[in-house]
Amino acid sequence: MKKKVLSALLSVAMVATVLMGCGSAAEEAAPAATEEAAPAEEAAPVEEAVAEEAAPAADEEMLVYLVSKGFQHQYWQAVYQGAQEAAAELGVKMEMVGPATESDIADQVQMLNNAINLKPAAIGLAALDTEACLDLIQTAMDSKIPIIGFDSGVPSAPEGAVYANASTDNYAAGELAAEETYKLIEAKIADATATVRIGVMSQDATSESIVNRGQGFIDKMKSLVEATGKTVSVEGHDKFAAKVDGANVVIDVAVPAAVTAEASATDGMNLLNKADVIAVYASNQHSGEALVNANANLNKLGADGIIGVAFDSGVVIKTAVKEGTLVGAVTQDPLSIGRKTVELAVAAAKGEAVADVDTGCQWYTADNMEDPKIAPNLYD
Amino acid sequence: MSNNTSTKKNPLLNNPVVKAVGTQRAIAILALIVLFVFFSIASPAFRQYSTFVSILDASYYIGFMAIGVTFAIITGGIDLSIGTVLVCSSLISGTLATKYNVPILICLIVGVLIGAFFGLCNGLMVSVMGLPPFIATLGSMMISKGFGSIFTKAQSVTWPQSSQADGWFRNIFKINVATANGNIMIPTGFLLLLVLAVVMSVILNKTRAGRYITALGSNKEATRLSGVNVVKWETLAFIFSGTFAGIAGVSYAATYSTLLPGNGGGLELDAIAGVVIGGTSMSGGYGTIAGTLIGVFIMSVLKTGLPFVGLQNQYQQFITGFVLIIAVFADVANRKKNSK
Repeated sequence: MKKKVLSALLSVAMVATVLMGCGSAAEEAAPAATEEAAPAEEAAPVEEAVAEEAAPAADEEMLVYLVSKGFQHQYWQAVYQGAQEAAAELGVKMEMVGPATESDIADQVQMLNNAINLKPAAIGLAALDTEACLDLIQTAMDSKIPIIGFDSGVPSAPEGAVYANASTDNYAAGELAAEETYKLIEAKIADATATVRIGVMSQDATSESIVNRGQGFIDKMKSLVEATGKTVSVEGHDKFAAKVDGANVVIDVAVPAAVTAEASATDGMNLLNKADVIAVYASNQHSGEALVNANANLNKLGADGIIGVAFDSGVVIKTAVKEGTLVGAVTQDPLSIGRKTVELAVAAAKGEAVADVDTGCQWYTADNMEDPKIAPNLYD
Repeated sequence: MSNNTSTKKNPLLNNPVVKAVGTQRAIAILALIVLFVFFSIASPAFRQYSTFVSILDASYYIGFMAIGVTFAIITGGIDLSIGTVLVCSSLISGTLATKYNVPILICLIVGVLIGAFFGLCNGLMVSVMGLPPFIATLGSMMISKGFGSIFTKAQSVTWPQSSQADGWFRNIFKINVATANGNIMIPTGFLLLLVLAVVMSVILNKTRAGRYITALGSNKEATRLSGVNVVKWETLAFIFSGTFAGIAGVSYAATYSTLLPGNGGGLELDAIAGVVIGGTSMSGGYGTIAGTLIGVFIMSVLKTGLPFVGLQNQYQQFITGFVLIIAVFADVANRKKNSK
């Protein structure tokens, strides 16, 4: 009997959590509710804000609603912080939601749908897939809700739907990574008697930011190499491929089947294991961490070995750059991305003219990590 | 008589080694060897020690999950929650380590206990409340996935790096010894996997717990009528499953550093596929830990090996599906022949 009571209690508690968990897909208030239910758990800044916003708002405060790619990576926490600061300064309400993982395109579409139904003053959108959101963007335009793209834009959106973008010029950031990488492998390419390979690790082939960081890198690298009279073939994923037989330099693009640590680490290991590889570029935090993981057994990365280049920061990438496993990385300015998104959203909602903002990016190595211009952009 | 004719027709069955290890496991071992040889011939890079260590790295978390879930499957049940419990336990214990400065040793124990707790809940839901294991563990799969995200506020958790003071726990699974000729890696996790496999194998075959778990898997009602406390032993099987998911969480953190909340769904299927390839019956009542380990290594050799021959991991999923079906079909076909 005792056992029955115990198990019933356990299961009721569990069922309750399930019910709340399921609800969260449909309405953003749920995570906040569950958070409160969880005892002895200090309320996070994210949930705090969500909880405030979720209360039926009767006042006329302007609501800016941001649909992000999720909160998995610390990068988004920095974006959120910037957005929060700007919202507080401008006196508007800001809510930020995102799917559980960066593979959950459908969940994000649903979140955007909910956002439009809430009729906020403006919506910020960091699209996981440039095509999946198009219908809803049209709906938002029809209901006259301005959309501000952040982090990752929607290039094929109908004219006038996306008022402005606040993001790193991702294509230029990819080019920057290519230029810095090229400096370190120029001699190797020039001296090579056989084909050499440059690996590119790309988390996906669907979002604007990741695709452009890959494309910017590939295009720049291609033009730099071709300027010396050598030929370049781009292989691997179909999205980027431009195959040339017998090329001097092969750019090999790996895209994992799913955004998981083990799938991406396998991709990285595979690239590092190819005998002719001289450099590997990982185009975001996830891929960068996977590259560092992949290197753990192989120990091939380093200034004297295969040149490893990453993007963003976080403990793993920062440590790897500091220790020289990665020669360097490109950092964005996530705080500014969050800040500018809210500023643009408020301006657009008020009917003011807005234009794209490039929040910039910088190349960092072990030598300039502590530089006051760079250090604040490197998060843990 | 019919048995004899079928053995005559099938030389494989006449082999004493095959008879000793069982047909399906013999096929699995053969498949493992074939895969190894194939990858070694096809790719020179595959023949390196570092690749071998990588295969082991990829087999730890699947292996621990698989050892545990073998017990749940032998009862005739299933445990779908192990993949997300792995991530959930490691997210929570990792948060304790990095945000609350709890000593790593305690975090590791907490991680395993969280797994055990989920196992206990699953066990009680199945044995006491009478929920079908598929449904009960589907529920806890969602709960653990959601709870991991709630606890971490949906942010990834990065366990201490090996260069940091708290990174010693990685030595449980791999010790790096710096020598004049570079780094030598000792895959200590393999030893741990083997030791735990032997322990669980003894529990399964030589103890009352194991015999009752097997018995209730072949006929729960008969086992109950013969005076066995089926509630207790069925619950225990799920506790094993959950506990090993917790251990798998520790090994995952040691290998891949970063845990992403919301992930983990799908990992359990790798483990379950390993168990099934290893000859454990999905309808319960029969299974071996040794077979499970062989199945797990087939999974991890495929995972690690296919990229070496130029096939990305979507092909790995595609090909593993076929391996699974062929392995089980070979067993089913053999049994049919033998029972005629």
